[in-house]
Amino acid sequence: MTIEQAYHTLYGGALIVLILLIGAMVIRSIIGPRSTDRIMSVNMLGTMTICSIAILSVLLDEGYLADVAMIYAMISFVAVLMMASMFVPSKPKVPVLEPDKEQETASLEEAGGEK
Amino acid sequence: MTLEWIRFIAAAVLIVLGLCSFGAAVLGAYRFGYVLNRMHAAGIGDTAGLFFVIASLVVARGPQMDTLKLVVLVFFLWFTSPVSAHFLGQVEYYTNPLLGRHVKQADLPKPEGRPEQENVPKQVVEKDKTKGDGDAAD
Repeated sequence: MTIEQAYHTLYGGALIVLILLIGAMVIRSIIGPRSTDRIMSVNMLGTMTICSIAILSVLLDEGYLADVAMIYAMISFVAVLMMASMFVPSKPKVPVLEPDKEQETASLEEAGGEK
Repeated sequence: MTLEWIRFIAAAVLIVLGLCSFGAAVLGAYRFGYVLNRMHAAGIGDTAGLFFVIASLVVARGPQMDTLKLVVLVFFLWFTSPVSAHFLGQVEYYTNPLLGRHVKQADLPKPEGRPEQENVPKQVVEKDKTKGDGDAAD
């Protein structure tokens, strides 16, 4: 067994395992009860696809596939951001916690004063 | 020749570690019952899984220009993965009316734009948890 055959077997087997995991994540994205489950599954699926493209770039000895993997990463990131920004209000206003804190400290001081 | 085989063994160990991380991520996505827990499992695949797989490829390929591209890819995904996880958590916080079933949020103030939380009795919560576990086992 030469070293080239060994690398071919190793990365071929890794690709087969990655395909099985990608299939599992596709099923997860179909049965995910909420939209956030589906977005998370698609995000993970994208990461595994990037890994398989990177493995292919070494297995086939094609340098340009690394560029394809980088562009895939950018597109998957933008897709997740767009899907998320569809649900979130553009400028969420979160009220400040200060009044509650003041009340707590005031009540604590009162308790200390009673003692 | 021996050096080549040592490099092959290092690449094999690294890629097996990476596939184990991806397997743990997929297992967690099925076993956990709620999306905020599943995001934790997804983070393992996004960071450790990608790092080990790309490290294996870098060891196998040796010092070249393509290797540098793969390293840049790892750093890019390490920066973007927490951002998308943060946005996903924000989506869950703003859209789920039953968030109180899963997250203890009695001390949190209610922001504008979030739906009213339903008051869920404690017994219903426990029943729902057992149901969720049964679903996850499937």
